[in-house]
Amino acid sequence: MEEEDNMANPRTGTRTRKPKAATVERDLAVRMFEVMALMRAVEDRMVTMYRQGELLGSLYTGHWHEAIAVGTAAALRAADVVAPLHRDLGVHLWRGMEPWQVMASFMGKATSPTGGRDGTLHYGRLDLNIINPVSHIPNNYPVATGAAFALRYRGTDGVAMAYCGDGSTGRGDFHEALNIAGVQHLPCVFIVENNQYSYSTPLTLTTASADFASKAAGYGIPGEKVDGTDVFAVHEVAVQAVARARAGDGPSLIEAVTMRMHGHAEHDPADYVPAELTDLWAKHDPVEECAARLIEQGFLDEDGVAAVRAQARATALEHRNKVLGMPMPEPDSEEERVYAS
Amino acid sequence: MPAKTAAATVTYLEAIADALRAEMDADPDVFLIGEDVGQFGGAFKVTKGFLDRFGPERVVDTPIAESGFTGLACGAALMGLRPVVEFQFADFISCAFDQIINNCSRHYYRTGNPIPVTFRAPFGARLRAGPTHSQSIEAYFAHVPGLKIVAPATPEDAAGLLISAIRDNNPVLYLESKYLYRRVEAPGPLSLDPVPIGSAKVVREGTRVSLLTYSVGVHQGLEAAAKLAEESISVEVVDLRTLVPLDVATITASVNKTSRAVVLHEDARRHGYGAEIAATVQEECFWRLDGPVVRIAAKNTPIPTSPQLEDAAVPQLPEIISTLRKVATT
Repeated sequence: MEEEDNMANPRTGTRTRKPKAATVERDLAVRMFEVMALMRAVEDRMVTMYRQGELLGSLYTGHWHEAIAVGTAAALRAADVVAPLHRDLGVHLWRGMEPWQVMASFMGKATSPTGGRDGTLHYGRLDLNIINPVSHIPNNYPVATGAAFALRYRGTDGVAMAYCGDGSTGRGDFHEALNIAGVQHLPCVFIVENNQYSYSTPLTLTTASADFASKAAGYGIPGEKVDGTDVFAVHEVAVQAVARARAGDGPSLIEAVTMRMHGHAEHDPADYVPAELTDLWAKHDPVEECAARLIEQGFLDEDGVAAVRAQARATALEHRNKVLGMPMPEPDSEEERVYAS
Repeated sequence: MPAKTAAATVTYLEAIADALRAEMDADPDVFLIGEDVGQFGGAFKVTKGFLDRFGPERVVDTPIAESGFTGLACGAALMGLRPVVEFQFADFISCAFDQIINNCSRHYYRTGNPIPVTFRAPFGARLRAGPTHSQSIEAYFAHVPGLKIVAPATPEDAAGLLISAIRDNNPVLYLESKYLYRRVEAPGPLSLDPVPIGSAKVVREGTRVSLLTYSVGVHQGLEAAAKLAEESISVEVVDLRTLVPLDVATITASVNKTSRAVVLHEDARRHGYGAEIAATVQEECFWRLDGPVVRIAAKNTPIPTSPQLEDAAVPQLPEIISTLRKVATT
C-alpha cells in the first residue's frame, strides 16, 4: 500500500516512501534484529528502573531509533570509529558494549565506562572505537572528523561515523564539520537522525529547509534521505556511504527520518506532540517491521522471533539485577585522573 | 633531531618555528592545523616553509572554523596523533570555547583517554590592534580543570616549552607573545631541549621585593629591576613560565626570602591571573610578608587601539618602577 507521508518536513508537503530496500543475507539480518530487540528490551527495562527510582537523573531512550542505530553500525568494521548519540544504544550494543555498563552510567556506578565521573547518556568505550559524547550536540561532529583524519593519516582505510539529531543541525559545529570534511575529503559519514522534535521544538521552528539531506549540497557532498524505521533501507544507504568514504571519495550525509516516541527524556511527557503524529508513527515500529521482514524472508518463523525477543528481555533483566549491587565510586578518588601522566 | 639550531641569533618567533619543526621532524604523529598556516606560512610567518617541508597531510590549511578544527584536532589526538593547533590570534579562541571546555579539557577525567593537543595562541597587547586582537586569555582558561597553560618570555623557553607542550599527554594552551615575536632574541645556537612544564625560574636574584610575572612582564620587570638597582633597591624577578600547574614552591621560596611581592601582568586586573597568585602568596607566605601583595595589571577595560589609549590601558615601565619602589621601601 501507499504509505502515509512520514518522510517530510511538514513545510514541504507529501512525499512517498521509497520502496522497501533489499534485505541482507540471513545471519546479518538476524543479528541486526537481535541487537534491535536487545536495544528495545534494555531501554524498556531502564524505563522501569527510572520509574522505580533506581537511576540518578533522567533517562534518554531511543524508541523508534533502533533501525538507525543498528542499520548504520552494521555497515562498519570494528576498526572504524563512531561518535553516537543518546538515541543510539544499538550502536554501542552492536560493537560490544554490555547493557549493564549503560545502566551503570545512568546510576553513577564505579563500574560505568566513566567510573562515575560522568553519567546518564555520556558513555563510550574507546577500546571499541566509540567516542563518548557530551551533551553539546553536535560537538562530536568535528571530533569525528578528527577520527577520520587520524585514520587516513595513519594510512588505514578506516571510516568515522558521526550522529546528530534534527535539532543540533542548527549549531555551528554541524556546519563547520561538514565544511571541513567536504573540503578535506575526509572518510566520514554524517548521520542526521530526524526524529522531528528537538526537545519540545518541532521541525517548523528548527529549519526552513525542505529537509536535512539537501543541506549536503552546500558542502559539495552527497546527501541521502532514508526511512529511519526500515533497518534494511538504513543499512543499504549506510553501506554505500561507508564504501564511498573507504574508497577515498569523501564524506556523505544521511538523513534518517523517524519519530521520537518517548519524551526528550523520561521526565518529559511530550504533551506538545500532536497525538495524531504519534498515532501515525506507532504503526511503524522499527523492531516489529524488522521482525515481519525476517518472517517474510523466511529467515525466522514466529517462534524464532518470539525467542529472540524473550532472550532480549531476559538479558535486560539479568543485567539490571547484576548492576544493582555494583559499587559506587570512592569519594577520595574524586581528584584523581584530572591530568594524564 | 638536532639538539641545537644553527643561526647566530634566534628571535622568539624563530625559536617557536625551530622547536615546532624539530618536533615534526622527530615525531611523525605531530601535525599542524589552522588558518593560513600552510600556503601563507601563518599570519605571523611562524610556519613559513612548513608546507614544503612536511606536505599538506601534516600542515593543514583549514576554512575559518575554529570550533571545527579544534574538534578535529581533539578527535585526532584521541586516536593518538599529536596535533598543534594554531589560532591566528588568541582572540579567536573564543570561537572554539565549547570544544576546549566541554570536550577537550575534561575528556581524560571522564574517560581515561588522553587528548595530547597543543593550542598555540598569539596573545597580548601593545601592537595597536585593538579590543579584539590584543586580548590576554589566560584567566578564562586557567579556571578550567584539565588544561595546562604555558607563557614563555624568552626564545629559550619558547622553544623548550613548546617541545614539552607537544610531548605532554594533556591539552596545553601555549600563549606566545606576538609583541615579543621579533623584539627579543637569544644567542644561537639555541638549545632544543624541553623545558619542564610547571617550573618557574628566578631570572634575576634580589632581596627586597619579588616581582612575580610572565611573558612581556618579565622583560619589563628586568628593566625595572635594573633601574631600581641604581637606587640600591634589589628586586627579584620570577618568570612563572607555566601558569597551570603553578610552581608554588619557587614563588614561596622567593617571597619568603624578600617578604614582599608584586604581581605583574598585561591582562585586566579584575579576576586576572594575578589574583590567583596573590591569593596563593598570602595563603603560603602570610606570616613572612611585610606588606600586602600588590597587583600591577591592565585597566578593567577592553584594550583600545589608539597608542595614547592603549598605553594608558596596559602596564608601563614608570608605573612598574614606582610600584616596586614603594613596596620595597615601605
